[in-house]
Amino acid sequence: MMDKLYKAFVDATSHVFQLMLNIPEISAHPEKTLKCDEAVDIAIGIVGDLQGEVVYRFPVATSLNMVKIMSGMEFDAVDVFVTSAISEVANIISGNVLTALSGGDLRCDILPPVQQKPDEGKAYEIESSCCICTAIGEICLEIRLNRASHMLH
Amino acid sequence: MLWKDQYELGVPQIDAQHKELFRRVESFLQVLRSGGNWEEKVPKLNETLEFMKRYVVEHFHDEEEYQRSINYPGYEAHKQIHNGMVIYVQEVTKQYEASGNKEDLMQQFGGRLLAWLINHVAAEDQRIADYAKGRG
Repeated sequence: MMDKLYKAFVDATSHVFQLMLNIPEISAHPEKTLKCDEAVDIAIGIVGDLQGEVVYRFPVATSLNMVKIMSGMEFDAVDVFVTSAISEVANIISGNVLTALSGGDLRCDILPPVQQKPDEGKAYEIESSCCICTAIGEICLEIRLNRASHMLH
Repeated sequence: MLWKDQYELGVPQIDAQHKELFRRVESFLQVLRSGGNWEEKVPKLNETLEFMKRYVVEHFHDEEEYQRSINYPGYEAHKQIHNGMVIYVQEVTKQYEASGNKEDLMQQFGGRLLAWLINHVAAEDQRIADYAKGRG
């Protein structure tokens, strides 16, 4: 299950970066400790057969580069506009992941993106972190999910 | 330039509308992101917002008609995506007007619109072109 999810997120990120930002190559590696201090944290809630959240950590430099490529404009700080654009990219990646997973047995939906750090207080059955390296900087992902009760039987 | 030639679908009417949409969004973003007094920018932003509300509906309608004309199998799903965006634009406009033209709301709208439009045209609309090419 974890391998499948991990691959789905990496593939979706790669696809979205290629289409939206013209960045053809990315690489991913599992990461236990996320090293980005100043980051835009976007949480996408997941409901359905899997329940929990995926938190995308976009370091400030990565965020500014992404918005610069999309708009052709210069940005020197993260503001409401940048956060909103980055949130939509996280939303698009998550939507692509769920579309890919729906080809199998999993039925899930996503909630609108919100700017927040991972919820450290809850325990999850499936927990994983990874960092995705791109030509414009890293993106870190924290996946925290439980199987819905009807999936446990 | 916000528009990139790789976004072309090969359908002249839709491509022309996409280019106009990108041109208007680019102009909107330039005013939105320019320095200076917010109140002075409001009339120009409101004018573009009004245009986009009308144009987006017109463009979505034309694009959906094209999809029907080629029996595009993803028509219903694509229409739902369009409807979602129309509802979002209407809701933001209401909130923006009710707030007395609050800048944060428009900055938030601009950021989401930018990413949504690029993904929609580069990914969702390209599927229509791929299908049309596939049927020859």
